[in-house]
Amino acid sequence: MSESRLVVGPFNRVEGDLEVQLDVADGAVQSARVNAPLYRGFERMLLGRAPSDALTLTPRICGICSISQSAAAARALAAAGGHAAAPQGAAIAALIHAVENVSDHLFHFNLFFMPDFTRPTYAARPWHGRAVDRFAAAEGGAQRAAIEARAALMHILGLMAGKWPHTLAIQPGGVTRAPGPSDKVRIMASLTAFRRYLEETVFGGPLEAFAEIADRDALMGWGRGDAGLFLDIAADLDLDALGRGSGRYLSFGAYPQDCGHAFAPGLWRDGRQDPLDLTRMVEEVAHSWMLGPAAHPAAGQTLPDEDMREDAYSWCKAPRLAGETMETGALARQVVDGHPLARALAGGGVLARVAGRLLELARSQAVMERLAREIDVSARFMDPAPEVRAGQGAGLVEAARGALGHWVRVEKGRIAGYQIVAPTTWNFSPRDAAGQPGPLEAALVGAPVAPGETTPVTVQHIVRSFDPCMVCTVH
Amino acid sequence: MAEIETFYEVMRRQGITRRSFMKYCSLTAAALGLGPSFVPKIAHAMETKPRTPVIWVNGLECTCCSESFIRGAHPLAKDVVLSMISLDYSHTLMAAAGHAAEAALEDTIEKYKGNYILAVEGNPPLNEDGMYCIVGGKPFVDQLRHAAKDAKAVIAWGACASYGCVQAAAPNPTQATPVHKVITDKPIIKVPGCPPIAEVMTGVITYMLTFDRLPELDRQGRPKMFYSQRIHDKCYRRPHFDAGQFVEEWDDEYARKGYCLYKMGCKGPTTYNACSTVRWNEGVSFPIQSGHGCIGCSEDGFWDQGGFYDRLTTVKQFGVEATADQMGIAAAGAVGAGIAAHIAASALKSAQRKKQDSEEV
Repeated sequence: MSESRLVVGPFNRVEGDLEVQLDVADGAVQSARVNAPLYRGFERMLLGRAPSDALTLTPRICGICSISQSAAAARALAAAGGHAAAPQGAAIAALIHAVENVSDHLFHFNLFFMPDFTRPTYAARPWHGRAVDRFAAAEGGAQRAAIEARAALMHILGLMAGKWPHTLAIQPGGVTRAPGPSDKVRIMASLTAFRRYLEETVFGGPLEAFAEIADRDALMGWGRGDAGLFLDIAADLDLDALGRGSGRYLSFGAYPQDCGHAFAPGLWRDGRQDPLDLTRMVEEVAHSWMLGPAAHPAAGQTLPDEDMREDAYSWCKAPRLAGETMETGALARQVVDGHPLARALAGGGVLARVAGRLLELARSQAVMERLAREIDVSARFMDPAPEVRAGQGAGLVEAARGALGHWVRVEKGRIAGYQIVAPTTWNFSPRDAAGQPGPLEAALVGAPVAPGETTPVTVQHIVRSFDPCMVCTVH
Repeated sequence: MAEIETFYEVMRRQGITRRSFMKYCSLTAAALGLGPSFVPKIAHAMETKPRTPVIWVNGLECTCCSESFIRGAHPLAKDVVLSMISLDYSHTLMAAAGHAAEAALEDTIEKYKGNYILAVEGNPPLNEDGMYCIVGGKPFVDQLRHAAKDAKAVIAWGACASYGCVQAAAPNPTQATPVHKVITDKPIIKVPGCPPIAEVMTGVITYMLTFDRLPELDRQGRPKMFYSQRIHDKCYRRPHFDAGQFVEEWDDEYARKGYCLYKMGCKGPTTYNACSTVRWNEGVSFPIQSGHGCIGCSEDGFWDQGGFYDRLTTVKQFGVEATADQMGIAAAGAVGAGIAAHIAASALKSAQRKKQDSEEV
């Protein structure tokens, strides 16, 4: 029996900084500790500021999902002030948010996740040549196409949001830009071009056909486009068994409008759907370099432990729901929304997470097209909200990587409390007081490590299957 | 020193056609404000000069600079820059991982000693001996000093590296510190903005390659070619400012007419950047065009100037419009003083012609 300890990090092709410590024995990971080594202190900066400052400051937590942060801040402020956004404003916010999420999925698949299969270690595999041709770093055909398609799709963000990243358009009352008839046409044209790219390149077939896949066999037999290449690889390497999840999923519900969410909110536990209930949510700090008691984010604080005490190992807090870890992300959203394929994949590993993301990519196109079709240029896009004097509220949205919540408390016109729990805070959380590992830490246990491997490729696959965003994790 | 490929060779190897290459050279010449006669010069430089190696390091940041670069940019510009940085060291983009990545950094420093450009995204937090940002087991500030030692020049990408940006917002919990306060013995080119415009980023690098020298900098250390224009002066809504026509409330009648956003807190009058000319997301738009005022993200301290929706206020009355033009030369911080006077003068001139204030209706 051979035992060793590996420290893997920094991870490239991961947004932000990440370090994973692995105890390896008998050719497999026995336990893992995930460290988020970057802390900035946004929650502390927000204290004492005008509430509307959150609209400018919090998006800058993350240059990848800035619209998600902005949407969460706007909804939190609206909730604190008891204000509702103009319905068409909420629809435009949903549209630009969907554009960002879709862009992130595309980026993750093509630039972050797939390049690992071009490694020399896979040179003997029958699919290796195709993988290199499509996904070799900065040179693969798929990457070039993805970057171009994304930049073109993001014209919608330019048009409706002025700039991306760090858009300012979303406000508690709606959006600052009222689209005219020609804007609507341009948005529709951008979406049509994006659909063509997805169908020709990513899926190799109609999006509706992929979205209708209801079971695992049909999925694995897809055989077309870059998605087909991934599925062939996944079958060959048995990626379903690699990095399996707890089967507990959390979604705050994506793209809220008056008529409901495009992807429903809720919880999935023990093969059962429950309504979203966060009353028993707690952020623990037992193994985090944070002080203060474990608390619900509405009452939470951020007090960094400057001594970086020995029994802690991450700046990340450990959110738990009723004492349990929850996995969040595209797969969680699709499971909670009740899609039959996602339900069939629930509890799975790398395959399930990546397939969940592809499924959502296919389904989101229809959501964006509907939102664009429904733009009513004669409506109001903003019902201006007065600055909040006192109150508290939560802004719950779904970022590409999963459930994102902002909890704000305003007293005397100033922010008196602000807590942010990001998707990767859930997924990459450290152990809690009971010693229960976070979702990634649990998923890494059992990952095979080849003799002499210092950065095990299986660990890379598992980590990236979550699509971590470390800069959001600890803010 | 080992033979380094030329830029053009790298691009050819990645399947970029001659036609696309020439188009890139034209776009770059235009972006740099150079005439068509410079296109062959740029092309020649890229064909013959060795590629400038770039080491791109990330400190305390949000990756928005990288994102602006690789997503928003013209695909050709993106290809050019990716072809440089992917070959050397970039935290987010490089192919190697973990220890191999750290080794790649060391190799690059060694191989191109004294010749590489260090591009810094983000900044080092100095509190607690730099423990708030750890890269490869060491504080980022150590990596930064180490990588800067043998660099030819340093590019400070974005407001973080240039000024500190939002993570330095009061009370600056981690003591996030701009690059020039840590690296004091190298030329530093500040390319501020949160993030900077993609075309500005590629333009700066291409200029340095083409002319083999640093771009001319303003007093704050920003390349003059992109940061000498005040947003306000090139803003397409400027005629409305001069006419005293303002948006009073989000999505009001005046907003739909595209009136000036000064009263909504626009910082265009005190901000120097290329947003109103180059624009964003491949030239589609910029914040003011989307109905939201400029927040001045390319100016030092923009994160701690009071509310982002507070309008710029009078410090001292100037009284005549002529002073508005002089403001262009004044240091940015002092500019705010003249604005209210400027607006008052402009409004006065047109007062007979229009009814603007909603209170009057």
